[in-house]
Amino acid sequence: MKWIPQDIETFLNAKEYIDTAVIPLVPLSFEEDVKQSAEMSEFITLLTGYIERQFTGRIVLLPSFTYLTHKNMDFLLTELTNWKSSVEQGGFKHIFYVTSDIGWKEYEDILGPSLLWIPSIPLEKMEEMQKWIIVESQGKQLLNLFSRKWRENE
Amino acid sequence: MSKHQVTRRQFLSYTLTGVGGFMAAGMLMPMVRFAVDPVLKGEAAGSYHPTTQKVADLTDEPVRVDFTYKQKDAWYESDVTATAWVYKDKGTGKIVALSPICKHLGCTVNWNTNPDHPNQFFCPCHFGRYEKDGKNIPGTPPPQPLDLYPFKEKGGYLYLGKPQPRTEV
Ligand code: FES
Repeated sequence: MKWIPQDIETFLNAKEYIDTAVIPLVPLSFEEDVKQSAEMSEFITLLTGYIERQFTGRIVLLPSFTYLTHKNMDFLLTELTNWKSSVEQGGFKHIFYVTSDIGWKEYEDILGPSLLWIPSIPLEKMEEMQKWIIVESQGKQLLNLFSRKWRENE
Repeated sequence: MSKHQVTRRQFLSYTLTGVGGFMAAGMLMPMVRFAVDPVLKGEAAGSYHPTTQKVADLTDEPVRVDFTYKQKDAWYESDVTATAWVYKDKGTGKIVALSPICKHLGCTVNWNTNPDHPNQFFCPCHFGRYEKDGKNIPGTPPPQPLDLYPFKEKGGYLYLGKPQPRTEV
């Protein structure tokens, strides 16, 4: 499901089936890494879009958690923890964070296996079909992680 | 297309009258939709999109066919990538092109990925299953068979239309 009223309506009516939230973590910068920031944003948008399409009936793709790079990581972590408790209160059993920002890797022990870090690939010069193939090959690995988590909790 | 269904004057009044304009828009919207819809529908149902699948290469085993096409909506034109599961039935010699969208809550189904239930379509979300011809298997969540793509053959290649729902197989 996407974060649009029509999907959320389905979510409200089928909560017992839709138990997983996906939160993209996307850095924003206007300094020398401005282009890299845009590249990550494109990649993570396509990647989470792919995951959403494969697993529409069980996940909700939330709006991106967007933050300025060079911001204090502890501050971001507190804010993300706030998101987490709200999302859990919203009825989700599983939460996955999807990011290309290496900054989060340090916090792997805090965020646990829900943190899915995947390096971004520049897609700017590619045809639509090529993009799709790249995104799919990366996305597939993530799909398995989702499935595994679900099976553990069966 | 029906660009002229809403007059300049109407548009100007939406944009210039602020909040009041929005309220008027609420009243006028149904009419606009009524005027535009048939055109859009006609376009969607009538068009077949090319794929890279050669019809002659199809066998009794379903293969995944991905294809990209341009879709116009009210905001912009975008590329859409869609998927079909296609096979040629051994018995009847007919081509069957199925939509991969699960009829339960819309996840993407795959062919033959559950070792416990070989030669079926399997939905990873809530373990829905379908027979090869797309028929939903009772006792699993999906309430209906998979949608069927209308298709055409052109120059040896498979062209796919817009998936159509079925009540039974
Ligand atoms: S979405 Fe396929 S079984 Fe629920």
